[in-house]
Amino acid sequence: MTQAEIKLCSLLLQEHFGEIVEKIGVHLIRTGSQPLRVIAHDTGTSLDQVKKALCVLIQHNLVSYQVHKRGVVEYEAQCSRVLRMLRYPRYIYTTKTLYSDTGELIVEELLLNGKLTMSAVVKKVADRLTETMEDGKTMDYAEVSNTFVRLADTHFVQRCPSVPTTENSDPGPPPPAPTLVINEKDMYLVPKLSLIGKGKRRRSSDEDAAGEPKAKRPKHTTDNKEPIPDDGIYWQANLDRFHQHFRDQAIVSAVANRMDQTSSEIVRTMLRMSEITTSSSAPFTQPLSSNEIFRSLPVGYNISKQVLDQYLTLLADDPLEFVGKSGDSGGGMYVINLHKALASLATATLESVVQERFGSRCARIFRLVLQKKHLEQKQVEDFAMIPAKEAKDMLYKMLSENFMSLQEIPKTPDHAPSRTFYLYTVNILSAARMLLHRCYKSIANLIERRQFETKENKRLLEKSQRVEAIIASMQATGAEEAQLQEIEEMITAPERQQLETLKRNVNKLDASEIQVDETIFLLESYIECTMKRQ
Amino acid sequence: MAGNKGRGRAAYTFNIEAVGFSKGEKLPDVVLKPPPLFPDTDYKPVPLKTGEGEEYMLALKQELRETMKRMPYFIETPEERQDIERYSKRYMKVYKEEWIPAGPKPKKAKDAGKGTSLTNTADVLKKIEELEKRDDGEKSDEENEDKEGSKEKSKEGDDDDDDDAAEQEEYDEEEQEEENDYINSYFEDGDDFGADSDDNMDEATY
Repeated sequence: MTQAEIKLCSLLLQEHFGEIVEKIGVHLIRTGSQPLRVIAHDTGTSLDQVKKALCVLIQHNLVSYQVHKRGVVEYEAQCSRVLRMLRYPRYIYTTKTLYSDTGELIVEELLLNGKLTMSAVVKKVADRLTETMEDGKTMDYAEVSNTFVRLADTHFVQRCPSVPTTENSDPGPPPPAPTLVINEKDMYLVPKLSLIGKGKRRRSSDEDAAGEPKAKRPKHTTDNKEPIPDDGIYWQANLDRFHQHFRDQAIVSAVANRMDQTSSEIVRTMLRMSEITTSSSAPFTQPLSSNEIFRSLPVGYNISKQVLDQYLTLLADDPLEFVGKSGDSGGGMYVINLHKALASLATATLESVVQERFGSRCARIFRLVLQKKHLEQKQVEDFAMIPAKEAKDMLYKMLSENFMSLQEIPKTPDHAPSRTFYLYTVNILSAARMLLHRCYKSIANLIERRQFETKENKRLLEKSQRVEAIIASMQATGAEEAQLQEIEEMITAPERQQLETLKRNVNKLDASEIQVDETIFLLESYIECTMKRQ
Repeated sequence: MAGNKGRGRAAYTFNIEAVGFSKGEKLPDVVLKPPPLFPDTDYKPVPLKTGEGEEYMLALKQELRETMKRMPYFIETPEERQDIERYSKRYMKVYKEEWIPAGPKPKKAKDAGKGTSLTNTADVLKKIEELEKRDDGEKSDEENEDKEGSKEKSKEGDDDDDDDAAEQEEYDEEEQEEENDYINSYFEDGDDFGADSDDNMDEATY
């Protein structure tokens, strides 16, 4: 794990789980697999707190454990999973576009809690939805269950590995930690539950000041005493499926940008048909015949078979090679080249970065070297039609920032510099890695800056919160306009200005984080699929 | 090893034309310090994407941040004792559920006198549980200096545990089995050493 990744993980863990969990988590990421006592000793925290922190991390699928020889249990952190926490808003928003509010809340609850049983999810989501509905209306459990089943069917949620049920009672002592297993077939199997009920609206009397809820709490808990039918079956969000969806989205929008709406619809149809049949890491989708595609086009699109064939031929001939023709049976067999598509997207990202950082002439040189693979300096000047001095300057700038590299080809065995060719080349994989590393650094900087800004204005933020609370309570008890006006004036105009600026800055920083994460997704997918290929 | 400069005149070992400098041209200065921390950029960054989706995700992100702080998974660092107890502190305390993913819950938290046979893992776990509860009870004393006192807090913690019983059952085994990891007798009082105990120290008052 690079320093940048560790720093980013540390910031994310601290923001979401507090300092103790952050300390334990970062220690595990840095040092790899460790047993419990060693963690406690090395980090200098009490065993109790280490246990709590580990429980939180395991609950959220950030740390896994394994029993080694001699019965020692070792804990290991998954750094890449920690970095996924940046993407939570995107997962939730995607579910909203696909399954509307109910689906959105289900995925949100699963992400916030790590693992949950189906009945717990349904209950929580129904309660939340009921809150937002008008008075008197409640959300039925059945509707939420249906959405849950649909999510499981399309593999967006999956079962967590669980303790294996052993029929024979082992006479020896049980192992120090259970080894969790999950059967492939059972991963998306929804237990047969009959969840009957409606969402409960939180009683308004419970929303009093902090001191009150303690007295009211015992009343709430009495209705949870019945045994939970699907105990032991926990569900988690299936991030790989979301990533597959994002990848498909990226490919479709790329085709739409390059060609037109209809071709993107065709590609979308092909991807949809291959969702179940192709694994997420396959280089190509399964071959689809033109007839099948014609039958599966969305209902609104009535293009004739010939037009479809023309589009497919056009797509297959495109130099970007998103779609390839793999045979002629059935009117032509077509596949989508997933790995090539990811490579093109990553390359386009690199080109765009070069253009925005160094200018369009640099971008021209970059694209030229990409196309021709290896070029000498003289050749670069000639092909790009850029004067020698500027071309040299740009090449060196890109070289120093590691977007390009030099390849030496000696003419003589003694590698004398005067008799060696120096060729400029772009190695996409290493450039992508370099850019990814920079992205991690950027997000870490963004988060730090946002925390700094918030800390600077902490006093002002607290004051404005207090004033808002006062106004809200006064409105509830029915106050006059004049009184409300008076309270509002407690915040002076320059302070209001400051608050506005702060809000704008924080929003900008947050939005930047989300968008850098999109780039991270593309680059990581590309690197992953290239590594698998090798 | 400083090479021979060639009778007072620098001579390159390679053809200087190849890297693009003409003969006799002034070479750029050697850089003697690290690059500046915030270098000037010639090209300003492209504005951020805006749209319905982006705005929704932004709002979601900020909401999630707030929600996570209130979840029971966010473990607060125990604060050091303040010199003066601020009156407003008790009313600004954020109410949070207790999430203790532990083993079988003791029926009465106050049963400190329960006999513990250390050979039985279940009892060992209960002992740890009681120590935890006692710790929590004491911690709540100083955080929550109301008349409610530790009993109600631990009772309510108990109720919450029953609430979350389903969620923690999977961890029962894990917690239980973990205790076999180390020699019990060696760490009998282990739970009491460490950061937590500092909170309970009554500072000498003069």
